[in-house]
Amino acid sequence: MITTPAPSHAAAARQWFLARADLDALIAGLRDSGRRVIGPTIREDAIVYDEIQSAADLPAGWHDEQSAGRYRLERRTDEQVFGYTVGPTSWKRFTFPPNLPIASAHRTGSFGFEQPTPDAPPVAFVGVRACEIAALEIQDRVFLGGQFTDEDFRARRASAFIVAVQCTTSSGTCFCTSMGTGPEVHGGYDILMTEIDGGFVVHAGSPEGAAIVAKLPTRRPSHAEAGAAVDRVESVRTQMGEPLPMAGIDERLKLQLDHPRWAVVADRCVECGNCTMACPTCFCTSVVEKSDMEGKRSTTDRQWDSCFDVAFAKVAGGDFRSRPRDRYRQWLTHKFSTWFDQFGSSGCVGCGRCITWCPVAIDVREELGVIAPPIAPVIRPVAVEPVAASPGSYSIARVAAVRPETEDTSTLTLTDVDPAFLAGRPGQFVMIALPAFPAVPISISRFRANGIDLTIRAVGPTSTALTNLHPGAKVGLRGPLGTFWPVEEAYGRHAVVVAGGVGLSPLHGLVDALVANHDRFESVSLFYGSRTPEDQLFRDDLDTWSASKAIDVAITVDRAGPEWKGRVGVVTGLFDMISWDCTKVTAFVVGPERMMQASVQGLISKGVPADRICVSMERHMECGIGLCGHCQMAGRFVCKDGPVFRLNELGDLFNREGI
Amino acid sequence: MATSGRTARPRVAVAKFASCDGCQLTLLDLEDELLEIVSRFDIVEFPEATSRRSPGPYDIVFVEGSVSAPEHIDQIKELRKQARILITIGACATAGGIQALRNWADHDAYRAAVYAHPEWIESLAKATPIAEHVKVDGELRGCPIDPGQLTELLTAVLVGRRPQIRDEAVCRECKRKGIVCLVVARGEACMGPVTTSGCNALCPSYDRGCYGCFGPRANANAKSWSTGLLRSGRPPEEVRRLFAGFTGYAEPFRSVITELGETKG
Ligand SMILES: Cc1cc2nc3c(=O)[nH]c(=O)nc-3n(C[C@H](O)[C@H](O)[C@H](O)COP(=O)(O)OP(=O)(O)OC[C@H]3O[C@@H](n4cnc5c(N)ncnc54)[C@H](O)[C@@H]3O)c2cc1C
Ligand code: SF4
Ligand code: SF4
Ligand code: SF4
Ligand code: SF4
Ligand code: SF4
Ligand code: FES
Repeated sequence: MITTPAPSHAAAARQWFLARADLDALIAGLRDSGRRVIGPTIREDAIVYDEIQSAADLPAGWHDEQSAGRYRLERRTDEQVFGYTVGPTSWKRFTFPPNLPIASAHRTGSFGFEQPTPDAPPVAFVGVRACEIAALEIQDRVFLGGQFTDEDFRARRASAFIVAVQCTTSSGTCFCTSMGTGPEVHGGYDILMTEIDGGFVVHAGSPEGAAIVAKLPTRRPSHAEAGAAVDRVESVRTQMGEPLPMAGIDERLKLQLDHPRWAVVADRCVECGNCTMACPTCFCTSVVEKSDMEGKRSTTDRQWDSCFDVAFAKVAGGDFRSRPRDRYRQWLTHKFSTWFDQFGSSGCVGCGRCITWCPVAIDVREELGVIAPPIAPVIRPVAVEPVAASPGSYSIARVAAVRPETEDTSTLTLTDVDPAFLAGRPGQFVMIALPAFPAVPISISRFRANGIDLTIRAVGPTSTALTNLHPGAKVGLRGPLGTFWPVEEAYGRHAVVVAGGVGLSPLHGLVDALVANHDRFESVSLFYGSRTPEDQLFRDDLDTWSASKAIDVAITVDRAGPEWKGRVGVVTGLFDMISWDCTKVTAFVVGPERMMQASVQGLISKGVPADRICVSMERHMECGIGLCGHCQMAGRFVCKDGPVFRLNELGDLFNREGI
Repeated sequence: MATSGRTARPRVAVAKFASCDGCQLTLLDLEDELLEIVSRFDIVEFPEATSRRSPGPYDIVFVEGSVSAPEHIDQIKELRKQARILITIGACATAGGIQALRNWADHDAYRAAVYAHPEWIESLAKATPIAEHVKVDGELRGCPIDPGQLTELLTAVLVGRRPQIRDEAVCRECKRKGIVCLVVARGEACMGPVTTSGCNALCPSYDRGCYGCFGPRANANAKSWSTGLLRSGRPPEEVRRLFAGFTGYAEPFRSVITELGETKG
């Protein structure tokens, strides 16, 4: 996410070995060059950054155990000097001090304002990590990248000599690999050190760095030493595990401004602002005005402030962020979303400080996962435990209404259903039975507050008997069964629903879900084709959807009389209306087999990725739960591995005949 | 109004209710500024420094202490009439102070335990902050108050600007000072997250947790903080005690204390 320039000097590639016993030569060398040396040292039970006099001040043999809201120093089994991660201090304390006089004014005789000239004596930062360099570079963009600049920051930053250290361990709150900032240091340093057994592999990243290194008692590292240095850093990446799915996090968050979780996390947050104080990139400040009693001389100090402050967004007559949830949302969305708009990168480098130093242990990683969940890479298994899961057992439901859709198709509304059905997901189906009739699989076409709809076409005995039922009749149900439409997978994308004929039935619940959450998607559209206007299902719903701004609806029929004013032709003919970037489309397709194949072909040729096309397959089913063997499709049981599949899961099974 | 404007010195009175005098002493402790303050303000009523008594009206009345005895109620109402600006100072006046702890107790039993001859003491069943009885124009928090905030307030009154007294968590001062958080790094208890700043994180600077003497900040999420303290394994009685300090009677600390159980007198 954050790209740091590669070291620009050819000399940087040359490596040296500095024995641990000779580390003091580096500190002395930096001090001799006229620099105040700031580095890690143990104070108040933590490793903080402070002025150090010699290598003896460094935290050799210590490391830090960190988790949300907790930090403890522990003894290492070895004498590594930099075998910890990052502590409560960040380097911004020295480049962007917490309190800074920025102006003074007087009206004694004359009247004027004075600005202090930046006073930034040379300093060396020792032990700067990859994420910390990224943070300094983010603040470079904040303070120096725009039209107006912070000259005090510029002076302090320019006077800072950077001795970077590769991480050889990570803590429980580190997530630099997720933010693309570490663990490897790639640039932005004067000297880079990697700690291995007995010493450091060192190299210079600038002429100033090379001048310091030249005076150190070094030798060339052995092949093994150079290799060990690489392995140490590599092992940290492994230690940290799978990176969090951060792709598109800025957009994902923007879609979630009304997520209920904001209020939940705000209930826990005590708004202490510790996160923003500890964060190495947060840059907000306020001014504090002091004067003598006559008001003739005054000074203006700039102080770190925090958007968690109740007064932060107040104006006379109102408060733009009056609720705690507004303030928590400001923090999280600024770090991970709106920062991109302002400064072209994330405002988070994954250092984990805000997690460790939050006294109520709020973890931004967890909040992001809930508020802006990643795009699910696979269709998840059944969400709810189905009821009556053995072939002979049924849960009883009552028919509340029967609504004719077409000449041969009716929708049954069932009530008194087991709550498991209400918790089902669009795309799932039930096995429905009447005494004396074999059970048949029917998709749930709609979820209601206290029931479900099944839309059934009378094609044979059971389906005919079902469509002939009257309100009050009882039916037996098993389910909900099978996989469902991965709605979340389309968050932030164009959701395209393609339905043919009665295929709209298993898609109806999906369309409801898309419409209800339409702001989570880039766009929502439905392409619906049927043989004739009379074969259309859910005509009232089609009218409602057509009138809604939440979804674009395009309808076509194969043939129609002169009274039909709409499009005529196959559903794929509607695809020329697709104007958007098809790599950002997630499509959901159901219809007769031939129509599905043509639609999928059309979508693929427009550039929709195969893993973003979901289809629902139909096969003969008897049991619906993977026991009877009827529904097998090569290695898969359509009833339990499907019926919803992503195209790439099916591969060439999709088009193949005779499977 | 008798005195105001640039030439006449503002008349200042300091009044005392149930308190320890510590806050008034802060005024006397302002060694550097005291001379200037005395030269710029006409301090007419100040039990700690002078026995001189002069009647109102006053430009500024600083009120120390809580309303704890029946006669206090009329006194504070009369004082309010005499004051152009009424400022409460210290935990007693702003939050009821340590006396307010009896607000949860069986009052008679508490009095019997504290005083040798309880029957001689005429005291109210509750100790209450001044603002429960009269309108207050400003307050200085703390036990005792912070000398810097006092000078700032006096300066602001003279200059005619808004005093730069912020309402942020003690944690904010603590972090700016670079103190390592006692809660996170040691598992100690600290009221900093819910307490308003002003002391420059005095207690954490001396390696001990804040006990909340500046009182709750506006909209403090005391509920979450008490939950956090309980979750860290502290017994409810200990958490209740943390909130039941000098400012325990101020909301939302008061609700947490009530929720965690009654005091045993
Ligand atoms: C996952 C899934 C969801 C379905 N959703 C719907 C829906 O929402 N609305 C709807 O009208 N139809 C749906 N069907 C098709 C429906 O199951 C059949 O139309 C129905 O089984 C026909 O049964 P019948 O007894 O009326 O006809 P017959 O043809 O006599 O069927 C006899 C038996 O064969 C099996 N069978 C026959 N056709 C099918 C078929 N197409 N799919 C599975 N098994 C079959 C059944 O076990 C049935 O009991 C769905 C099918 C599947 C696999
Ligand atoms: S998230 Fe944590 S550290 Fe940040 S303000 Fe809330 S409670 Fe404080
Ligand atoms: S948001 Fe948190 S993890 Fe990210 S840079 Fe700031 S403190 Fe570090
Ligand atoms: S998160 Fe808050 S404090 Fe940090 S930079 Fe953004 S607005 Fe400022
Ligand atoms: S020590 Fe107390 S005041 Fe300081 S940051 Fe921690 S909780 Fe806040
Ligand atoms: S740290 Fe807390 S208890 Fe200590 S002086 Fe400040 S407000 Fe009072
Ligand atoms: S950032 Fe806009 S006023 Fe300061």
